[in-house]
Amino acid sequence: MSVILEVLEELWSMFVGDRRLTLLALAVVAATALAARALNAPPLVSAGLLLVGALAVLTDSVMQAARRAKR
Amino acid sequence: MIAWTTAAPAVAAAFTASAVEVVEAFTIVLAVATLRGWRPALAGAGAALALLAAAVLALGPLLGLVDPHLLELAIGILLLLFGLGWLRKAVLRAAGLMALHDETAIFEREKAQIGAECETTTAADWIAGLASFKAVLLEGLEVVFIVLAVGGVKGELLIPASIGALAAFAVVMVAGLLIRGPLSKVPENTLKFGVGVMLSSFGVYWTGEGLGLAWPGDDLSLVGLVVIFLLAALALARLVRPPAAEAAA
Repeated sequence: MSVILEVLEELWSMFVGDRRLTLLALAVVAATALAARALNAPPLVSAGLLLVGALAVLTDSVMQAARRAKR
Repeated sequence: MIAWTTAAPAVAAAFTASAVEVVEAFTIVLAVATLRGWRPALAGAGAALALLAAAVLALGPLLGLVDPHLLELAIGILLLLFGLGWLRKAVLRAAGLMALHDETAIFEREKAQIGAECETTTAADWIAGLASFKAVLLEGLEVVFIVLAVGGVKGELLIPASIGALAAFAVVMVAGLLIRGPLSKVPENTLKFGVGVMLSSFGVYWTGEGLGLAWPGDDLSLVGLVVIFLLAALALARLVRPPAAEAAA
């Protein structure tokens, strides 16, 4: 039983290790989908939004962790 | 015919990520072998590998039944979450804000922990085998996900990605058996940095494909994404590195 729980914990931590990062990344995907589908933004603009959003999420997560580590 | 621009990053990601995970699993299997011999260590590891192989064989063909765009989107999002999480840790390690992965320290810690558990039971070999089983299963889960994700979106990449993972397994096992000690010389932290970059790039690329976006240069843009993520991650590591770590570096 503990092995199954550990497998589930491992799977959870693989994708939701940092909740803020997960939520922000999902928000970026949702915003990109909205821009591409509902607002009919050109595909290249939507692709740029996705890339810049992903980089912004990474930056936010690293900066936040760095601030915590330096305290 | 598979384009090298698509196959090379898939094989490289599968090989590198698998090498890192196999090194981590090997450390614990070695700790078990040192304490109780190779029999329980290999029995546990073998059982876990069989279970993981069964999972790949069962799940691999099922991916072909899912709508391709939905599959690209789902795998892209999962890769994005997994890759960004991995890259975040790699950047923090590179900046000196998170402890580096030290296989020798992990080997000693695991040996002490498994040794203590074995002392309090009559089924010591069973406990040792279970520790080996869990280590291979948990580290192998990530390998299975990466192989299915980078290889499964375009079905023809499943075999190259699997070959990349198996090659990593073979290389690490041969190195481990020759050295007969924890593989602390493997530049694990650097490899993890590279894996984080590749997985994040794959995540963005497949999420975009799943949403029906057009990448300039099609598959070739994957190489561009890898370069952008690599430069961004290196810049971030430099930006957040504390002055003391900067002076020591």
